[in-house]
Amino acid sequence: MTTTAPARGATQAVAVQRVTFGRVLRGEWIKFRTLRSTVWTVAITAVVMVGLALMMAAIMQVAADTPEMSEGMSQDPGLQAIGLTGTTIVTFGYSFGALAVGVLATLIVTSEYSTGTVRSTFAAVPRRLPVLWAKLVVIVLTTAVVVAVALAIAYVATAPLLDRAGLSVDLSDAEQVRALAGCVLYLATVAAFALAVGTLMRHSAGAIFTVVAIFFVVPLIFSIVVQATDAAWTDWVNKLLPSVAGERVISRGAETDALLDPWVGYAVLAGYTVVLLVVAAVTLRRRDA
Amino acid sequence: MIEAHGLTKRYGPQLAVDDVTFTVRPGTVTGFLGPNGAGKSTTMRMIMGLDRPTAGDVTVNGRPYAQHARPLAEVGALLEAKAVHPGRTARQHLLALAATHGIAPTRVDEVVELTGLAAVARKRVGGFSLGMGQRLGIAVALLGDPRTLILDEPVNGLDPEGVLWVRNLARYLAAEGRTVFLSSHLMSEVALTADHVIVIGRGRILADMPVQQLVDGASRHVVRVRSPQAADLADALRREGGTVAPGDDGALEVTGVDAARVGELAAAGGVVLHELTPVASTLEEAYLELTADAVEYQAEALDDAAGPTPDGAPR
Repeated sequence: MTTTAPARGATQAVAVQRVTFGRVLRGEWIKFRTLRSTVWTVAITAVVMVGLALMMAAIMQVAADTPEMSEGMSQDPGLQAIGLTGTTIVTFGYSFGALAVGVLATLIVTSEYSTGTVRSTFAAVPRRLPVLWAKLVVIVLTTAVVVAVALAIAYVATAPLLDRAGLSVDLSDAEQVRALAGCVLYLATVAAFALAVGTLMRHSAGAIFTVVAIFFVVPLIFSIVVQATDAAWTDWVNKLLPSVAGERVISRGAETDALLDPWVGYAVLAGYTVVLLVVAAVTLRRRDA
Repeated sequence: MIEAHGLTKRYGPQLAVDDVTFTVRPGTVTGFLGPNGAGKSTTMRMIMGLDRPTAGDVTVNGRPYAQHARPLAEVGALLEAKAVHPGRTARQHLLALAATHGIAPTRVDEVVELTGLAAVARKRVGGFSLGMGQRLGIAVALLGDPRTLILDEPVNGLDPEGVLWVRNLARYLAAEGRTVFLSSHLMSEVALTADHVIVIGRGRILADMPVQQLVDGASRHVVRVRSPQAADLADALRREGGTVAPGDDGALEVTGVDAARVGELAAAGGVVLHELTPVASTLEEAYLELTADAVEYQAEALDDAAGPTPDGAPR
């Protein structure tokens, strides 16, 4: 360790530029990619999504060999009724993906609070909001790119199996293309939603619990409640839940009163997300860091 | 230059900082002294815009901190040691902050070198000692070559070598014309480093003056006097309104009468003097006197909560 008087460094003119959004974004990107946990989470998300698609495709291929499916799965009325297509298989890992990106997006904010990094961050960017928007861009773009790549790999990898099962993904079918793009959109939006929850709650455990409860526990409870009662309000609450509404954009979109149309459902999730982000932004500016 | 006007921060019913007004000037090291919990860190956080004042305002180099276009070039702050994600390396942490101001990586390497972190810059912060964390915090503070430095307890956790280094650094930066504002609960540290001192206790400014004046102005001025006619002298001094206490080795410790007057009284009374020494009270004593209330208050509060002994009492 040095004990010499602080000679140079302090005297020389140091080039210091204005804080711009682009620069804040670069800083957030450095923070994002320099944590091993982040890099691993992203990599594992992609691997698991591809793996689950392959597993489902293999199961479908085995199922297709049964005599009832001799005309190919895409012709089967039972499977048609539940809206099963090749995209269902390719996007099969989206729930796991939602869990992974939800936790990751929550942590990129809450870990700053738990470690105290946030005070360095806000000392450098005291206006604060550019930090939130930069984190949003980083997590949403990363999620979109990683999910898109995972789906592309899953598409290619499952193609031989799905072809044999007679359940090929049909990219000329607008609904199937929408479901694939919807998977990317859904997960990117879940990331934004979780980022807002993390910003509002600040504590890792509480924020992760909240995100998991909203996207996994509450829908599970309501899927049971809706079956158990005839009360109309339960149907409405159920279809307006962030996950139930948002997931519609990944579905085949079979028409049913119990669920929203795909884009309407996605718009509901996007609406919640925007509201949460606005509230998060307002509180971020006001609260003590 | 830091200017605070009527700065107040209330946490629920507790007034952490109570209507403080002060100016920290460039070119000097200003110490910010007070027992733990006196409001030092809260004040510093308000200067940095991290905490929102309940009332009042504070500007740095003429503007609220958040309104500067290049904040890191205005103020470099060390607010707490190891406020860094343990999974990142020191260099990565600095690079991320540098990026927000377009500061070149060469400058990052420069501050790493300057703070003696070169050997560990590429290691993860999780394994850092408190001292290394402190050095990293100082590296962050220096990154933007700021005109004003705010250092909260900068010598905490540093080895003697490191303490000396921080002291020299603070003086050097002030000599360059920068504003250096450093807090400490240690008297001795401020006495050795600062030119000017602001003493805070229970959220209020108790003193704001040159360090020397704080020492000179301390009410406890003692004169040591030794005489074979101690009893006569003591009587004469008491008549003059002084307080006389027998010191060790037979000397008298006189308060309330200065050395010159003691000599005059001795001459007038024909008393022989063997020793006449004005004893300046130390900064430590001045500080103790100023913050006595604040410390007592803390001790009570902690006693009520059956907590540990307050470490707010200066050593």
